[in-house]
Amino acid sequence: MPIGAERYGSRADTVAFVVCLVLSLVALALPEALRMPIAAALRRTVLLPAEAVESSASASREARQNALLLRSERDSFALAAARVPVLEAENDELRALLQLRGRLGSRFVTAEVLHQTGLSDGLTLLLSAGRRAGVEPLQPVVAPSGLVGMVLSVDPRTSVVMAWTHPDFRASAMVEGGKVFGVVAARRGETAGEVMELRGVPYRDSLPAGTPVVTSGLGGVFPRGIPLGTVQSQMSESAGWERTYLLRPAAHPAQVSHVLVLTAGLEADSLARAFDTVPPPDTMPRAPARGRRRQAIP
Amino acid sequence: MKLAAPRLRLAAVLLVLLAAHLWLRPRLFPGRFAPDFVLVALLFYAIRSRPGAGAVAGLVVGLLSDAVSPTTFGATAFSLTIIGYAAGWLKAVVFPDNVLVTAVFVFAASWLRDVLELAASNALRSGALGTQLLVLSPAGALSTAAAAVVALLLFRGWLRSAPAL
Repeated sequence: MPIGAERYGSRADTVAFVVCLVLSLVALALPEALRMPIAAALRRTVLLPAEAVESSASASREARQNALLLRSERDSFALAAARVPVLEAENDELRALLQLRGRLGSRFVTAEVLHQTGLSDGLTLLLSAGRRAGVEPLQPVVAPSGLVGMVLSVDPRTSVVMAWTHPDFRASAMVEGGKVFGVVAARRGETAGEVMELRGVPYRDSLPAGTPVVTSGLGGVFPRGIPLGTVQSQMSESAGWERTYLLRPAAHPAQVSHVLVLTAGLEADSLARAFDTVPPPDTMPRAPARGRRRQAIP
Repeated sequence: MKLAAPRLRLAAVLLVLLAAHLWLRPRLFPGRFAPDFVLVALLFYAIRSRPGAGAVAGLVVGLLSDAVSPTTFGATAFSLTIIGYAAGWLKAVVFPDNVLVTAVFVFAASWLRDVLELAASNALRSGALGTQLLVLSPAGALSTAAAAVVALLLFRGWLRSAPAL
């Protein structure tokens, strides 16, 4: 006989269920200004031990992988073992990250993307660096291949990143060389991390497939020259006014394991030099001199 | 006093599942289809408790899960509240010690959790929604069901003696 068959579904249970359901709906309807502090408070208190255990597990996994990497450098047989696709991809990413660090100088914070579950994976990322490491809201987050997103909220030891796949994300963009400008956003409804779109390209400008697209520096949040993606195809044109293009993204948030958070004070063209996307001097747009404006969240 | 030991055993099993989620999962299952040990723990608890307690447990677990992805805050709480209540209510027709029934039950609950969470968060649409619900979610639910079966086989004695709370 199934356990507890003789007593279930009393009025008290129904009341408890309705109250819980209402509370969850209230949580769902909370404005962002309330939602973020509540989530941050939970992360700083109840979830702190869980985060520590998970961080330690992540670090342990990484240490194990680093040990494999060192062994592979010494021994040719271990090198063959390092060709396991996942491990090789992570090694490539770390090597590229190290090269990028060298070119960027010291105005950045390195961070590990902590493991997180849920269907929102790829829309927001939890980083292992927070306020104590110098991370602040609205700072750009990059991977070796390009832009990952921007810092949304910051705790003392962790921070939440809004990835470019998030529906609210926008970035001012230009074609390398600074001839054509537009706005890049995630392609709504597509699988997270696969496609982005370049909107607002003047109708007179046509972009061939394969054209690289980078941040323009307009708006003050993202510095100029961070790769966003490459043009894949034209998607639509609205009545002779503008064109919209599909972009193949440079960086996939769901696949990165380590990132750099760019802190304030970068020189004007240091990123363009770091990513090798320097536009001709006469076509460079002017970014606002001071103050960061909220660009990504409408 | 009679019920204390069985309840402690159930609590120990739940703690082991929580530890597996935090400690074992990142080490052994780094991919997208990793089993959700917390959902297994919630279902093991809810099916041995009253529906109201299942709903409260679902709300608490959901809110904590939502804290690490605050842009969809409340979506997991919403889905797990319903799952927790339904699991407590369904104990009248489910045999929690049967391996096959447990596997099917956990698979269905995991998939339904994804459906409810996606509906609440409105994160995906059209083709991506179909891919998520028909391919990715069933694959994740399968691994979660497998983890539940392993946990049930490992702790069958303790779970069998656990009382309806």
